[in-house]
Amino acid sequence: MRDLIDLWIGIQTWLFETFVSPVLFHFNLMEWFEPGFNAVEIFMLGVVQITIIVLGMRMLERRWPLEADGDERLVGVDRVYTILSKLGIVPLIVFIVAYPITTQVELLVRTWGFVPPRLERLVPWLYDNALASFLVYFALYDFAAYWVHRAQHRFSWWWALHSLHHSQRRMTVWSDDRNHILDDLLVTIVLVVFAQFVGVQPDDYILILVIGRLIESWSHANVDMSFGRIGQKLIVGPRFHRLHHALAGPDETHIHDHNFAPVLPIWDILFGTAIYDGKHRPTGVSDPAIDADNGRSWPAQQVTVFGRFVRALAPRFSRSSVQPGLRPPAE
Amino acid sequence: MIAALAVGMGAATAAQADGVIILNSEEASYSIVSRTARTELGRQPLGREPHHMIVTPDGKEILIASTVTNELVALDAKTGEKKRVVRDIIDPYQLGYSPNGAWFVTAAYRLDHIDVYHGDSFKLASRIFMDGMPSHMAFDAESKTVFVTLQQSGRVTAIDLGTQLIKWNAEIGKAPAGAVMLPDNKRLLVALTGEDAIVTMDASNGAVIGRLQTGRGAHNFWPKGDGRHWFLSNRVEGTVSLIDTAEMKVVGSVRIPGGPDCMDITPDGKELWVTQRFLRRVAIVDIAQMKVIGSVHVGKSPHGVFILRGTGSGLPPPPSPLRAASIEGDRK
Repeated sequence: MRDLIDLWIGIQTWLFETFVSPVLFHFNLMEWFEPGFNAVEIFMLGVVQITIIVLGMRMLERRWPLEADGDERLVGVDRVYTILSKLGIVPLIVFIVAYPITTQVELLVRTWGFVPPRLERLVPWLYDNALASFLVYFALYDFAAYWVHRAQHRFSWWWALHSLHHSQRRMTVWSDDRNHILDDLLVTIVLVVFAQFVGVQPDDYILILVIGRLIESWSHANVDMSFGRIGQKLIVGPRFHRLHHALAGPDETHIHDHNFAPVLPIWDILFGTAIYDGKHRPTGVSDPAIDADNGRSWPAQQVTVFGRFVRALAPRFSRSSVQPGLRPPAE
Repeated sequence: MIAALAVGMGAATAAQADGVIILNSEEASYSIVSRTARTELGRQPLGREPHHMIVTPDGKEILIASTVTNELVALDAKTGEKKRVVRDIIDPYQLGYSPNGAWFVTAAYRLDHIDVYHGDSFKLASRIFMDGMPSHMAFDAESKTVFVTLQQSGRVTAIDLGTQLIKWNAEIGKAPAGAVMLPDNKRLLVALTGEDAIVTMDASNGAVIGRLQTGRGAHNFWPKGDGRHWFLSNRVEGTVSLIDTAEMKVVGSVRIPGGPDCMDITPDGKELWVTQRFLRRVAIVDIAQMKVIGSVHVGKSPHGVFILRGTGSGLPPPPSPLRAASIEGDRK
């Protein structure tokens, strides 16, 4: 284990000292020295995640698909999202914008004398049990993410952004990262502030993100596999989450307002939003304006969805639902 | 978390007479390392983002600054055992006592202020807001002035401890960090982390009177103990320089990869221990040969290092201008 950690840190240090540190030094950005080092780790973890997706999850998708038929051309843009997200490019942009905001929130409350609590103060036993402590923080973070997800569906302006994630008709392991950058920003700000207030340590925070996002990639996979009767109540899998992406029909107009949980289905079970009916449904959004996301490129999606967001915020700017001048849907 | 599991946070961490305390700044813990066995004995939880520590004027306690939880955690300076917690010390990134112990000063790196407390009670005398990330500090021998580096604005400020008014505020270069007042009580050395040099300042007025090229990312000082030589960590270059302050020249250098930062010397003066922030290790340097002779695994982003002096005379050693300078300015 120690040799593995040493190898990992050695590679991280070499990458940092070779490529990042000279740039930070040249531009006198030395206050970003430590964050820059951590950013390299995020990049490396992204490479590991993509490797797992390509070599593991994609193989399972080919072997046991839930939906055998579908337009594979729609998947290409989701790969772009995954690469940009997992390798830290979108997170870097989000970080640059979110950091001053979350820092100001933290500093403001600290200036008032409020010290973010740590669970370990309430439950000292956790101090001596790193794994238990991590699992508790993981569950707390997932709980917060569950409610953020519900808010994404509850508020029309937020749904305008989040609907991009749902508009994919060909849902695969690449679909998890298909998010508008503003949506990513809002989610990050809320969850980082939450993490600060419950006392999640930086090291744990990165691990929570990496493990959580890898499981979420898996839950989007086009794979007909189950964790079993008990397992599917413990951790979100492809069947459970596919229902959340289901295309609404006349009899199920709010089917996508179920199975919100990112990783732990317990939140849906507790709050009455879980459905385990085993039915296979097509995915996507029935609203033609949102469905029009399919077939658009990454920049076109970012632009049109931002327009959708503005119109949701200020309905008087509303025009026809499909934007003229942009590429039509692929189908 | 992985590292914590690997070490076993629940393992017995009996303090040792030959122990070394290492602050794992990104892991909310401190490691206790056996100096003689050169191995980590255990890891204890501690606040959040512990970066620096200092010995109390009576030499009985080590105060560890837990930056994000706004508190100081006191350990027994001989055994390393936890003794008490001092709360409501806001953002104590850097900390120091004036040589006479009358003043206790903290630098709030993220909140941009310098706090001057009465040394005997931790009662706040004044909070001075200073833009530019107050970073490291040094005191003059008379305990009248504290010098604080402002890493982001490239300045050094001198504050009168009695009145808590600013005496001077001088721009000196990119990212000034470590500061040390030399035994002559006239010259202030400041390391420029955004450059590859240290500067000598006139402590009376802030004028830059000399410059010495050392290594990229010149960051922090530690006294060799002879009143003349100081070690300097160069974070970007990954070296530690030995500086002769009488001649103002570099007389030795050793390669310490992984962002070398804080340092301490064993009581016999033979070994220099240097934290390697990125490698999660502490390097051990043979001072006579200026050569790395060992390293010890610790937690994530190890920052402050403190070598316990065991059950002998305790800390600090007999006062002298040199040792006063080292304690006041270099426990960072």
